[in-house]
This record gives sequence, structure tokens and C-alpha cells, in this order.
Amino acid sequence: MSDTHTIQPDPSAIGGVPKAPFALLPDASRLFARRAERFDGLAPGSDLAAYLHFLAEISRAQSDIANDLPPAEPILAEVTERSRTGQMPPIDRSSVSGGQVRATLRALFEKADAIEKPEQAATALAALRQADDATLDTLIRDALSDAIPVETLAANLFVSAGLQVHMARWAGGADATRLVPVSVGVCPVCGGKPIASMVVGVMGAEGARYCVCSCCATQWNEVRVKCVTCGSTKGVGYRSVAEDDRDATVKAEVCDECGSYVKILYANKNPSLDPVADDVASLGLDLLMRDTEYRRAALNPYLLGY
Amino acid sequence: MNMELSRRSFLKVAGAGVAGTTLGSMGFGDAEAAVAAHVRPFKLATTTETRNTCTYCSVACGILIYSKGDVRKGETAVITHIEGDADHPTNRGTLCPKGAALKDFVHAPTRLKYPMIRKAGTDKFERASWDQALDRIARLMKDDRDANFIAKNEKGVPVNRWTTVGFLAASATSNETAYATYKVVRSAGIVAFDNQARV
Repeated sequence: MSDTHTIQPDPSAIGGVPKAPFALLPDASRLFARRAERFDGLAPGSDLAAYLHFLAEISRAQSDIANDLPPAEPILAEVTERSRTGQMPPIDRSSVSGGQVRATLRALFEKADAIEKPEQAATALAALRQADDATLDTLIRDALSDAIPVETLAANLFVSAGLQVHMARWAGGADATRLVPVSVGVCPVCGGKPIASMVVGVMGAEGARYCVCSCCATQWNEVRVKCVTCGSTKGVGYRSVAEDDRDATVKAEVCDECGSYVKILYANKNPSLDPVADDVASLGLDLLMRDTEYRRAALNPYLLGY
Repeated sequence: MNMELSRRSFLKVAGAGVAGTTLGSMGFGDAEAAVAAHVRPFKLATTTETRNTCTYCSVACGILIYSKGDVRKGETAVITHIEGDADHPTNRGTLCPKGAALKDFVHAPTRLKYPMIRKAGTDKFERASWDQALDRIARLMKDDRDANFIAKNEKGVPVNRWTTVGFLAASATSNETAYATYKVVRSAGIVAFDNQARV
């Protein structure tokens, strides 16, 4: 007979509704391939078709190199524990440099060379392919410190695309169960800014909202109806392009306290939404938001300057 | 001006044509202009999501109320959807069948929005003001209490019971409201009292 008398009562398990996990780590081998598919799906009929097709090819290049590169650097358990104690992200962005990250970037530049693109993009890429280590390190530092000189916006796209591969593969090795919230709007793995937030419909987290890191693609749980830039729960509202009576699946979550907005994607209504692809494809919303008092606070290297 | 952009680089990779956006500097400026032209006639729709507590029972599940329009911006708001609040520790996004039907409860044409009186001898309810309703309730309760209050039992022991009136209070109240309700009702001697409203 089983030892039933030792089972402790646990009223919290009644109903069996699980608590949504704090963080969902990226899987680089699927992430970029899925994103490429989403870009492909969004392009036909869009005003941005040329750009979306181009980004689909960039995502495919990311996917290709992610699968070909040597295994990513592991995140040591002691680093994870130390970061946990200090409420810091286990990946130190300021330490991202060296041969491995440059090799990842150069691999992406080679792949991107074959992609059809306008002259300005081709010029920027040609310069990048000839850039020395020091120049590359400067661009990497600019991209990771979220301070991109306006003259290097085109170069930044390719550098950031390479960094996304490097960081997603690195973050994929983190221990999701040992992560702690760092601060509002800060990725608990790499300290990056969110690209957007998503209300997900995945099993075990139905209706929960996750911020998506613009750098390493880690998703972390944030309470709904809260500004993901300043953390305020007062004065949060939503704006969407009023095309018809249907409720939009991409909205701008605005905050009256800090005057900013970050897009929110309702993946529980449309599971094919991708934070990067749909942020770019919903540029029309950003253009309409320029006439409001709210400023775009999200960071997307494919969509800077709004 | 976007905070992420700075102008301080003199790197060789900098392109000749400097544009203020990624799209422009990549040579996709035409696509950007097409989007701008496409969305110009459109307006922004305002929606809100509001946290609240389900009023049905004392479990007090968290709910999210979606509405079109924002009252804070001087607009009228219409509730379009109500769902369980995934962040709420009590229900984690789930709702019972009654809670799941909350929107229909809000919009129901038969919903009680103000006090109504059905006087003796009629089958019709008529609208009353809160003053009228409270005065009438107080009058009837006082009369009933004066007629039926039991101060002492048959052995002469003081019991202060008022057994001919019952009191049903709301469930989704704060601790303070529940405390005040309890004190008022028990002080009056009412025995049949439920501060939970298992409707």
C-alpha cells in the first residue's frame, strides 16, 4: 500500500492552474527560422514588402549561422548564483567582445552579402566587411549601450542582427529557474531593453504578458496593464490603428506617467505574431503615434528613429 | 528625437546619405513614405484594460475589463470584453461560468441600476431615489424591530434577538466594509446575516 499519510495537504494545487514561468529562454535554432517565416508571411501586399522581404532573408541568414557556429559559451552556475544574489543579469553586456562575437558578426556579413538590397545598404555592408577589429568593437559597444550614432544606422542593422544570434545562443544556456527580476524594462538575462511585450496563449501561461528582449530574445513575465518602461500602473491606455471594428492584435501601450509607449502584441489571439517582425510590419502605428504626446520607448535595431 | 540615436561617430562605415531612421539609411525610404501615405487617413482607436475584482462571490477573482474609449481622456467607454486576470494569485486567469458571463451581466437590459419599489397590491416596479429607498427601508426595519425584538428569553436572561429580519451583504467588499456591516447588523440584533452572498 502506498504511503499516503505522509502526503502534505496543498490547497494551492486545487484546480491545478500553474503559475506562469518567470522567463522563457530563446532557442536560436528555431527563433530566427520562425521569424523569417513570419516576415515572409507579412510581406505580400504590404507597403513595406521590400523591407520585409529583405529582413526575411536577414533572419534566414541568422538562422543559418546560428546552426553552423560552434557551441555558445556556457553561463557558469556560480555566475548565475552571484547575479541572483545581486539582482543582476547573468550576462554582462559590457563584456561582450572578443574573437567569438566578431566571428559571428563576420559570418553574418558574409551571408548577408548575397541578399538583394538597396545601394545604401550594400555600401554599409561592404564597409562592414572590410572593417578592422577595433571598428567592429566600437559598433558592438554602441549597439549594446543602446546609443547608436545616426550615421551608422545601416551598419547597426547588420551588427545588431549578428549580435542577436550571438546573444540568443548565449542566453539559451541560462538557467531559467534561477533568474530573478532585475528592474522594470530590463532583461533578466542580458540587461537589454524590450522590443515589445506579448500576451501569450501558451499552455501554463494563458493570458500572461511577456516582455521580449531586443538583444537576446529572452521573454520575461511582466504584470499586465503596467508601463514596461517606468513600471507605473496609473494612466496606462492602448492605441491602435482604427481600420475596422475588429480588435487590433498589435497596440501601443501608452503611459501618461512617463509619456512613452511600447507595443503590445496579442499572441493569444494570433499565435503567429513575432515581436520583431510584427513590430516592423506595424510601422504605420508608430507613424500615427508620432502625432501624439507619447514617445516610442522600445528598441528595435530594424526600426530605429521613431 | 529618439534617445537611442546620437551623433558622435566618425567611423569609416558611416554611409554618405544620412537619414534619421533605419529604413531611410538602408535605402528603403520609399517603403517608409508609402506606409506614411497609407496610414494618413486613419485615426488612432483608444482602448483600455482595467483591473477589477469579480463581484459575484467572496473568492474575489481578479478580472481584466477591456473597453473601447478612455474615460480619463474625456471619452465614453464601452465594455467590450471581460476575462480572468492572469496575474491574479487567486484565479490565475481562470473564471467560473458566472464570472465568464460578466460582460452580459454588465450589459443586461434587466440589470438593476437604481433602487426600485414594488408597492403592495401591484406587479410593477417603479424607480425610486436613494433617499426614498433608504427612508422606506429604515422605516420598515424600525417598525419590524419594535414589533418583534426579543430582549429577554423566557428565563429572563437578556438575549437581544431580532429574528424576523435577515440581512444579505455584498461579497466583494473590503475588510473595513465587512467589519462595519457586521457591527451594524449584529448591534441591531439581527441573527440571520450573511456577509458573503453565495448567490
